[in-house]
Amino acid sequence: MGRTHEAIIARARSQVPAAFATPPGVRIRRGGLILLLAGLTGWCLFAFDFSPGRIVEGLARLGRILAFMFPPHLWQSWQEWAEILKGLGETVSMAFLGTVLGATVALPLAFLGARNIMPFGWLRHGVRRGFDALRAVEQIILALIFIRAFGLGPLAGILAIAVSEVGTCAKLFSEAIENTSKKPVEGVRASGSGPLQTIRYAIMPQAMPVILSIILYNFESNTRSGTILGIVGAGGIGFLLADRINAYRWPEAWSIIILIILTVYVIDGISARLRMRIIGRMENVQ
Amino acid sequence: MLEIRGITKKFGDILAVDDVSLRIEPGQMVGIIGRSGAGKSTLLRLINRLIDPSAGKISFCGCEITHLRGRELRLWRASCAMIFQQFNLVERMDVLTNVLIGRVAHQGFLSSMVLHFSELDRARAVRALERVDLLPQALQRAGTLSGGQQQRVAIAKALVQNPKILLADEPIASLDPANAARVMETLKAINREDGITVLVNLHTLDTARSYCERIVAMREGKVHFDGAAEELTQARVREIYGTDGLEAEVDERVTSTAIPLSRPRQPARTEAA
Ligand SMILES: Nc1ncnc2c1ncn2[C@@H]1O[C@H](COP(=O)(O)OP(=O)(O)OP(=O)(O)O)[C@@H](O)[C@H]1O
Ligand SMILES: [Mg+2]
Repeated sequence: MGRTHEAIIARARSQVPAAFATPPGVRIRRGGLILLLAGLTGWCLFAFDFSPGRIVEGLARLGRILAFMFPPHLWQSWQEWAEILKGLGETVSMAFLGTVLGATVALPLAFLGARNIMPFGWLRHGVRRGFDALRAVEQIILALIFIRAFGLGPLAGILAIAVSEVGTCAKLFSEAIENTSKKPVEGVRASGSGPLQTIRYAIMPQAMPVILSIILYNFESNTRSGTILGIVGAGGIGFLLADRINAYRWPEAWSIIILIILTVYVIDGISARLRMRIIGRMENVQ
Repeated sequence: MLEIRGITKKFGDILAVDDVSLRIEPGQMVGIIGRSGAGKSTLLRLINRLIDPSAGKISFCGCEITHLRGRELRLWRASCAMIFQQFNLVERMDVLTNVLIGRVAHQGFLSSMVLHFSELDRARAVRALERVDLLPQALQRAGTLSGGQQQRVAIAKALVQNPKILLADEPIASLDPANAARVMETLKAINREDGITVLVNLHTLDTARSYCERIVAMREGKVHFDGAAEELTQARVREIYGTDGLEAEVDERVTSTAIPLSRPRQPARTEAA
């Protein structure tokens, strides 16, 4: 019994040696890679002055900060509430205006970046690299730039959202336009439509539901990122939050954070439902 | 009269249509047959000017159409309405709007951007839908209709274009026999009642025989046969579809999608027009 197994193994080993042992070359490379990763991690920990003591110490302080959450701070006067609600409203309005503005500029640009609309490769690629450049700059950096130019306040925030939105939306819209079926295009063209009429009749009805759903999703995500813009002074609830944190008014800061979470939650819900309805309508049509 | 002289279309090295010349009298119903890749679709696209020829000329009633541009080209396309195998409707729009798109060549720029159509155009569209028996579906989304219904919407759209010629590229290839017969009947009725010239690409020989007074067969981009249906003998058919032993392809009953007709065959009306 054992003998026959051995014979089978020996035969297989002679046929495909690599099936039984990792070749030395591969083993050395694997070992080297593990060593390299371990070394890099160790060096980083050392360079950033990590130590178990610091972590423990930090955790204790984190506990104290978290403790301020209970009981949540409730503002006593209407005036205080009004300030907070105004901040929240400002953040949502900034996200809304920025998204709408960005999407409006992005829509015509998106056509220039779509393969089925723009036949000139060089122009299309140029436009697309432009979108990439806009997306490469983080919203917060744009906000800092616009604060310099237009001063503190929501205007800088709206512009920051709008500009970054142009890059993101234009790219996504281009893809939505490229993913449309060619058949209606041919059908409309064969009836004697001009280029813009073809876009209006054959491309827009196909791309619009996707584009609307992208806009809604981005509005939602801009509400979230809009809170950060306030921290650097570009308007909205983030400004109030940064102010409370800097003044060590943690209970109030926590209440603001909870309100932000609630707001984002509500907007998420509404936008998800709307998107479902838009997309659902598309599926009904096959 | 539609006159095609030496029309040729190359796609890279492929000669899709090779020096085709045809004269088509007004009011004729012509069936174009030939195996897959013979160049049937390309020929219709050339006539409608969806693609430009590599060489040759097409003229209609003495007017050269191969060099039309801009608005004149769009009006030409409108006057030779095209019907596709896959219907090519805008599925997300309602049936009525799809039919109204047939008026696009006559519609102003701003009106088309806001989807505005005149009352007269709307009335035309309603009448065309009535004619193809789709009035109850007028406000339904086109994509929710059955294939046969979609093809009839496409025919209604062609009708509101008020065409001189109707080009149909395998209009029944994706339909079941009953719907196929209905679509062919509608095309025939349009041809007879409105005197519109119909050029129809067909995969099935018996359909071509029963609806078309004239049959043009293409093979490898060239016209291989051009004559009355009766002249298309079995030997000719074998030539058109190739002799590589594919008997089934030649057997009309096997390729048939049409249901038998009770209607007597129409006599050729070439001379009448
Ligand atoms: N846009 C195009 N680009 C490149 N080649 C093409 C194009 N359109 C057609 N062809 C080629 O031209 C030839 C004729 O095609 P065409 O579609 O006219 O044939 P067909 O007779 O309509 O065939 P089928 O019965 O399959 O529809 C084919 O070899 C096809 O591959
Ligand atoms: Mg074809």
